[in-house]
Amino acid sequence: MPLSKEDVRTIAEYARIVLTEQELDEMTTYMNDAVRMLQPLREYDLAGVEPTFHPIGNLSNVMTDDKVDANGRALHIDEALKNAASTRDRAFRVPSILGEEGGDR
Amino acid sequence: MKKLNEVLRDWDVTIGLEVHTALTTLQTKMFCDCKLSHDDPPNTNVCPVCLGMPGALPVPNKKAIESIVMAGLATNCQIMPRSYFYRKHYFYPDMSKNYQTTQGPVAFCMHGHLDLEVPGQGANGGYVTPIRIQRIHMEEDAAKMVHVGGQEGRIGGSSESLLDYNRCGTPLIELVTEPDIRTPEEARLFMEKLRQVFLALGISDCSMEKGSMRCDGNVSIRRRGTTQLGTKTEMKNLNSFKSLHDALAYEICRQAEVLEAGGAVLQETRHWEPSKRRTVVMRTKETADDYRMYPDPDLAPFDLSEEFVQACRARVPELPDAKRDRYMAELGIKRKDADQIAGSPAAALLFEEAATMAPECAGLVANVMVNLAPAATAITAAQVAGLAELLRDDAITFAQAREVLQIVDGTDADPREVVDKRGMRQITDADALATTVDEVLQRCPSQVAQYKEGSRKVVGFLVGQCMKASRGTGNPKLFNKLLVQRLDEMNRG
Amino acid sequence: MERLDLLSAWQIRAGIEAGDFSATEVAQASLATIREREPRIQAFLQVCDDLALKAAAATDARRAAGQKLGSLAGVPVAFKDNMHLVGSRTTCASKMLENYESPFTATCVRRMLDAGATPVGKTNMDEFAFGSSTESSAFFPTHNPWDANRVPGGSSGGSAAAVAAGEVAIALGSDTGGSIRQPAAFCGVVGLKPTYGSVSRYGVVAFGSSLDQVGPFGRSVADVALAMDALVAGGRDRLDSTSQNVDVGFANCLEDPVEGMRVGVIPSLMEHKGLSAEIKEGLEAARKALKGQGVRIVEVGLPNMDSAIAAYYAIGPCEAFSNLARFDGVRFGYQEPSCETLAQQTAFSRAHGFGAEAKRRQLLGAYLLASGVYDKYYYPAQQVRTLITSDYAAAFKRCDALLLPAAPTTAWQFGHMSDPTQMYASDLFTISNNIAGNGGVCVPAGLGSSSGMPVAVQLQGPPFEDKKLLQVARAVERGIAHAGLFEPNTVAPSFVERGGDGA
Repeated sequence: MPLSKEDVRTIAEYARIVLTEQELDEMTTYMNDAVRMLQPLREYDLAGVEPTFHPIGNLSNVMTDDKVDANGRALHIDEALKNAASTRDRAFRVPSILGEEGGDR
Repeated sequence: MKKLNEVLRDWDVTIGLEVHTALTTLQTKMFCDCKLSHDDPPNTNVCPVCLGMPGALPVPNKKAIESIVMAGLATNCQIMPRSYFYRKHYFYPDMSKNYQTTQGPVAFCMHGHLDLEVPGQGANGGYVTPIRIQRIHMEEDAAKMVHVGGQEGRIGGSSESLLDYNRCGTPLIELVTEPDIRTPEEARLFMEKLRQVFLALGISDCSMEKGSMRCDGNVSIRRRGTTQLGTKTEMKNLNSFKSLHDALAYEICRQAEVLEAGGAVLQETRHWEPSKRRTVVMRTKETADDYRMYPDPDLAPFDLSEEFVQACRARVPELPDAKRDRYMAELGIKRKDADQIAGSPAAALLFEEAATMAPECAGLVANVMVNLAPAATAITAAQVAGLAELLRDDAITFAQAREVLQIVDGTDADPREVVDKRGMRQITDADALATTVDEVLQRCPSQVAQYKEGSRKVVGFLVGQCMKASRGTGNPKLFNKLLVQRLDEMNRG
Repeated sequence: MERLDLLSAWQIRAGIEAGDFSATEVAQASLATIREREPRIQAFLQVCDDLALKAAAATDARRAAGQKLGSLAGVPVAFKDNMHLVGSRTTCASKMLENYESPFTATCVRRMLDAGATPVGKTNMDEFAFGSSTESSAFFPTHNPWDANRVPGGSSGGSAAAVAAGEVAIALGSDTGGSIRQPAAFCGVVGLKPTYGSVSRYGVVAFGSSLDQVGPFGRSVADVALAMDALVAGGRDRLDSTSQNVDVGFANCLEDPVEGMRVGVIPSLMEHKGLSAEIKEGLEAARKALKGQGVRIVEVGLPNMDSAIAAYYAIGPCEAFSNLARFDGVRFGYQEPSCETLAQQTAFSRAHGFGAEAKRRQLLGAYLLASGVYDKYYYPAQQVRTLITSDYAAAFKRCDALLLPAAPTTAWQFGHMSDPTQMYASDLFTISNNIAGNGGVCVPAGLGSSSGMPVAVQLQGPPFEDKKLLQVARAVERGIAHAGLFEPNTVAPSFVERGGDGA
């Protein structure tokens, strides 16, 4: 079943991207075209085939030592904040949150 | 609302806990080498990785992985042969990448359990019940947000919020129990036990007050004898043992009231307000959140070798239960005392050292540990042993021991010297005390008469008179013994 | 005085070592060339005169002090603008990052600098690397140095064009589905996508984390090999969990004979209906060039290759959605002014900071990862990835490298490819080894008989055998030159005649 404009609106809201009505129409066409391109994936019999999430062969268990700033990456406060559009003192600033809340932590 | 005891007669309760523990004893964050912050000014310990800057990549902290494996081994979990980190997406600026790196369907540790000993109360006998652990997975903590302009830093009414990423990326292990817990008391005991285990492992300071150990609870009830599970609610902010117990108790009673009035429990997240002693709705979950989880392509899979797991196993110290059993079996300590000492690594260490110094009175060492030491700030094993020996020799009373402890606390003074110097040592020579006993008996003929009529309570009064007469230098136990001896002689005579 | 813009990286390095010219002279020549040619090419988003002259001066000082020079000493290098370099902005050609100052330097950039390279600037690209033409740059398009009416390819179009126009000797690009190889093919230069894990991704703004790989452009296989040696010289990068050790030695084995090697061709691809006649001619020329040097051509199959596009356009957008979620206007990037709530600020910052293609990919990814949808596309795509990887493994049991097209046609004209999904389909020949992770390289094989534009062929090798891959690429280059079809170190002809003089 193709995606409706309302489906796409819901996805856009989830992805936090405001779209105009015209953009929504175009996006709906695009999404359906794109999903159609993916159909070959649904025609496979993939029973018993393991997925490859990482194209890295047998590489596993990559870890690093518990040493403070071993790579010299800690940012000075000025560096940390310099690309932020809105700050207050030493903190990043966001407007009122109103009814939003974090995830399930 | 009905009382919990009444509700529990008619309803079966199902509780599951989710416990987040920050690995505060590590040096660095989960996926970068920033220092773990405790009280640093905002955004002091941040780097491109934990600020989620474009192009930055995560590398897991080996010690954090070792810590979670140790936690799994200590809670009888299977260490899974292969697992992945996943990305869990939600747009909220306290998670700098707008996704949290966590684990997917397979966690590092799965299918564990802890046996919970629930002590008896009154006529009810104690019992042991296994609480199954579904999983323990590794994840990262979020940044701290301060809401400015609202009341008490709450979101409502605030005009802006400030973000401090010092905490963002702190290694966090999340333990999820199966819904095996049946009372708020079991929940509290489970949390206490878990805390003791994690403290023994040394992986966290486990401070609920500072938020390094946090607990959420899921609770539902169903009528006794039925099998259909009730709708569950999720409780947040259960951040002390008391809150955990009280919030669950409240919620169970609230659900019972709703159901008994013919209503329906809604699937919702509720917040415990300790000051008002109630839970309030945070949000209603109509559908499950869709976090668009998928394996994190930036992090290689884990297939921990048997060697790695064995090395972690070797680092798991004797756990509180085993310690308690050993104290009971080898040192003859009372179960309650042994339990309490074994539950705190610091106390256990102090106790064992002191018990070695005063091996012939380990029971008194335990007594000092349980009843006196908790009030001290810095007491040494030698001092604990010294106090125990003074008590063994009846050289001081328990009340005096408390006084001596206050004097030696924080110093390296020997309690025996303090007692001698201050002339606190009690007279334990029966001949020296006999005179006082006779004097007192002469002064108190009516008490003597009462004793004769069978009242044993008067002995306490007479001991008090003796202590007064000796200005506290006599040993009360000895006075007691001498008084009874004398009174019985008088009766016979 | 020699035309510095026409020198290879090897020649520049040797000339500086010999004292024929200084690194500063080379840097100045590169900067002058850029100033002169940029109005027509627009390959650069930023030119970093200060950084370039400072690095060149340091190289000259090293030489004056008698210290050993790095393998890229004084070689002007450009970086795709998704690579962090302290002292420059990293914009990803997006309004979202228009003013974003690099807070750190990417490992790949650091290693080029450590080898003595002179950083001259940051190159244009498709916004966040989403595209195959560099037209989706939020700032301006880049023109193909061979024909200004044509696209340079993408997404690393600026890097390919800068090298083809003689503005720099070497440039770095990133390749998620062909973004190094296709622009290299369109611009008549050599472009290598190394095996995934060979070059650190740390500091390169991610598009598809399991697909992205950084690699070099040069006007010859030898220059590309020189850059590879610099990129892998530091061993695996401890800041990138997916990076692996690769030995240096790319430059040493290029002239080793290829006699007796086997190169595989896939008949169905060589005769693919979308291939233009020019491309087929190029493939034939490469086949001859290899045969002439004693290479055996064998036929092999990649039975699941037809599904590579589907797998790629499931995996890529999902990873892109996830990687781009961090752009919420809070810590960095475009922030919509005057929003009352956080929700508004986030949704409008993303709406107005991202261009159309970036939004398309993210929404597609957000849809494909949704519960219930994940199992229909994303998960099967990763299973198909397993099949494609085994196809490659089977093919490489029978041959040392594969010869295949780079793109269906030569560079197209601006505006020619307007439908996004049609553009996706043009990635057909390059995306399968982003999926499998092995290396691929594009080498010029002549000029198209009808378009006059460069024609290239692609070679792909087994994972972590990129040295042998370059050895075969060098054989193609050598044979093509021998046949008089295309000379290594060719600068686009309209620039050869004028400008670019050094001191």
